[in-house]
Amino acid sequence: MRADEATLARLMALSQTGDRQAYAALLEACQRWLRGYYSRRIAPASLDDLVQETLIALHNKRASWDSSRPFLPWLAAIARYRWVDHLRRLYRADEHELHEELIGTDDEPAIAARISLDRLLGLLPPGQERAIALVKIEGLSIAEASQATGQSEALVKVNIHRGLKKLAHMIEKE
Amino acid sequence: MTMQRSSDALIAELVAGLEPVKPLRFGAGMAATLAAAALSSAVVVALFGLRPDWLEGRVNPMHLVATGLYLGLALAATVTVLVMSRPQIGSDHSGWRWAAAMAALLPVAGLIVGVNRGHDMLAAESMRHGGECLALGGSASLLVFAMLAAWLRRGAPTAPDRAGLVAGVAAGAFGIFAFSLHCPDNDIVHIGIWHSMVVLAMAGLGRATVPRLIRW
Repeated sequence: MRADEATLARLMALSQTGDRQAYAALLEACQRWLRGYYSRRIAPASLDDLVQETLIALHNKRASWDSSRPFLPWLAAIARYRWVDHLRRLYRADEHELHEELIGTDDEPAIAARISLDRLLGLLPPGQERAIALVKIEGLSIAEASQATGQSEALVKVNIHRGLKKLAHMIEKE
Repeated sequence: MTMQRSSDALIAELVAGLEPVKPLRFGAGMAATLAAAALSSAVVVALFGLRPDWLEGRVNPMHLVATGLYLGLALAATVTVLVMSRPQIGSDHSGWRWAAAMAALLPVAGLIVGVNRGHDMLAAESMRHGGECLALGGSASLLVFAMLAAWLRRGAPTAPDRAGLVAGVAAGAFGIFAFSLHCPDNDIVHIGIWHSMVVLAMAGLGRATVPRLIRW
């Protein structure tokens, strides 16, 4: 099924009334959408955990959406919140390579860009963005990230700390 | 393969646990907050009585302006809390700041006038009277405070610490609005310092206690 805004919003509205068939279809579509959304922005080994955590959050917080509002910007806000939380909890990713396959999203490119994780990361100063991308997403060690960026190890740590703090306050920013 | 299976199992479990929910509506949140604020105001008036000049059909401009500013701040902060409870990329959470900046004129003016007068700001009587407004205004905030915290708990605020702070500002501003219906003092030094202190104290309380209740 196409994970487009109108379909997802309709399924979500039905789910809020307790329609299990619609809910199963919604969760299935959201799962696929979230995999695309998070791909390349989380260590592959963590992807499944993060997608599942986000589905649980969607379930627990499903009353916080109402049918007068668009669905994907709501889902993306929940996904960003879980993502930042995940990065904060993560010390060292086990896996270094990234998924090569790019999972496409069916949404309008303009909306997808506005609600993307890249857009959120891009709001950070370049030094902080780079430190977080290398250590928290690609899984480099502090020493490796220090070499790659030319930042001292202390600065890499400071940049990660400050950057994550800032991200947590910018979840809903476009 | 196992990952896919565990995702399928999770989805099956979530679907099995689906219950109908009532979506959080902005209007419902506003109505509930206004009802809590109105009830708090009614309790203040019932327990302590209305200002004597109002009973005599007179009004004081300083009191009207200050009370109106607190009410404006309370409404703006409530709107922000309700917006924060329903996450959406592109939402603006900054509206309350302008109202806060305008209401901040009161403590600033109060301090300037107080320092300029150079006496009685720390006098025992004004401290006692101020402390009373702080305590009772704070108490009059608690119902709105609990209401907003419960609302945020049902919602999904993505910045729990800020949401707690703004909920405290809203509750404190409604609380001192309610107590202003009784407090007969029209002095800018008293209003600016002690009445604003209620907002500050509740903001601190909200920031310290609400985030742990609403984090998800």
